[in-house]
Amino acid sequence: MAERMAFSPVPYTRRRRAVKFMLPLLGLVVIWQLVVVIFDVNPRIFPDVPTVLRAGWGTIADGSLLGHVTASLWRVTVGTVLAILLAVPLGILMGVSRGVSSFLSPLFRFFAVLAGIAWIPIATLWFGYGFGAITFVIFNAVFFVVAYNTLLGVSTIPMPIRHAAASLGTSRWQLLKEVLVPGALPNIVTGIRTGMGFAWRGLIAAEMIATNTGLGYMLFLARDFYRTEVIVFAMIIIGIIWLVLDRLLLAPLERATVERWGMVQRS
Amino acid sequence: MTYAQSLWGMYVRWAAAWPALSAFAPFVPLIALWGFVVWLELFPRVFLPGPFEVLQTSWSLLYKGILPAYLGDSMVRLAVGAAAGMALAIPLGIFIGLNQRAHDATWPVLLFFQAIGDIAWLPILLVWFGFGLTTMTFVIVYTVMFPVILNTVLGIRSARPELERAAQSLGASRTRILFEVTLPGALPNIITGLRNGLGYGWRALIAAEIIVGTSGIGFLMFDARRAGSVDEIVVGMIVLGILWYIVDSWILAPIERATGERWGLVTT
Repeated sequence: MAERMAFSPVPYTRRRRAVKFMLPLLGLVVIWQLVVVIFDVNPRIFPDVPTVLRAGWGTIADGSLLGHVTASLWRVTVGTVLAILLAVPLGILMGVSRGVSSFLSPLFRFFAVLAGIAWIPIATLWFGYGFGAITFVIFNAVFFVVAYNTLLGVSTIPMPIRHAAASLGTSRWQLLKEVLVPGALPNIVTGIRTGMGFAWRGLIAAEMIATNTGLGYMLFLARDFYRTEVIVFAMIIIGIIWLVLDRLLLAPLERATVERWGMVQRS
Repeated sequence: MTYAQSLWGMYVRWAAAWPALSAFAPFVPLIALWGFVVWLELFPRVFLPGPFEVLQTSWSLLYKGILPAYLGDSMVRLAVGAAAGMALAIPLGIFIGLNQRAHDATWPVLLFFQAIGDIAWLPILLVWFGFGLTTMTFVIVYTVMFPVILNTVLGIRSARPELERAAQSLGASRTRILFEVTLPGALPNIITGLRNGLGYGWRALIAAEIIVGTSGIGFLMFDARRAGSVDEIVVGMIVLGILWYIVDSWILAPIERATGERWGLVTT
């Protein structure tokens, strides 16, 4: 399809792409409103657009939405940054020796598949209900996935490249800086993207169970009062935040590293 | 040092003879370390149970028939949800991938729904269907569906046009091109989507069982949390880990590798 775009007489500007992206979503909103009006859906089951907007405006006006969003984003940031800071050095350290990396990789795979939600019960037991437990769940989801991917990335750097660097007289530090880290970078970034995907879902689940602020709690609280319009609004906010995070931050980062390293995959 | 080295050498030789061994060996030092930490009593027992207690608890859960029953429940839910999700997602993905207009009209919507994420649907599903099987099945179907659709679309759209034109110029009909060129070309992507979808779906199942909970491994863990028995939580985590490890590395990863290799995508 890239081909078709290149030959298109009108250049694809940013704005045009944004409009093209927004139009179907607007269409969805129109269909939603029409369906609710035509079939006269009970607002308890599914509210119409104005109701949701009004409820949304209400949460914005009294500042509760801002509180929930900042609480959620703060937890994600703390958990993710801590996890990346610990996981990348650890992954590289383990990946340096091929024997060690092949010995340890099943262990990390085991914990990577367990990452996130499965830790919620024990995290709430260890840290109590609140910031600690939720940040731990996020940390966990990101840490093992990133560590495993870093390990994978370092251990798949072709041996000849390492030997070449060594025979040219690089010090250990230079080898690390010039060969191992850059070589593993595409894998690291992919790991961060996957890990954050799990972490975001884990966050919502953990917030439903173990806290009194955050988007997940907002959803669950609204359910307790059967306020469907607030639920729908919160779902839309969750979708938008993740879409922005994933498409405007993580995906371009991943594409940039992967492309630069010449492993282009069209997506 | 020499002892350690000869031990390591022995391990390497054994692992070479039985590759399965290398999947289990790393857990031995981990469990030993775990036992050691517990033995030091750095943390109270109610926070961190020892390996033996966990083993005992898992035996008693097994013996009482709770573990097999819950495990069965979880597996059936996942299997049914995944099968339904795939049955819906693959044809839809093929349709959207082949049709430029459908792609333009639905792609942002698909991305958006994928972004909302399974677990955020739970509260409204609870309002719609109440606490029950429908809610859980819906969540799993939903979760499995989107990664599969998105990847199928990607796979079909990244089919190489010259191959399709070659088939066309050799006189292949449209259906034949679809089944013999486009779909096989998209297969690696479809399988990657499936693997991602199952990965997410399985986590969604745990969350759904924790929140909706009437049975299943997630429910077992959360019930144990409520009763404050850590050893049961740990049993649940280990069972989940082993289960998914088996599904992922013995079923999904080999399939993915096999298709990827056959299509010449894997270089390592």
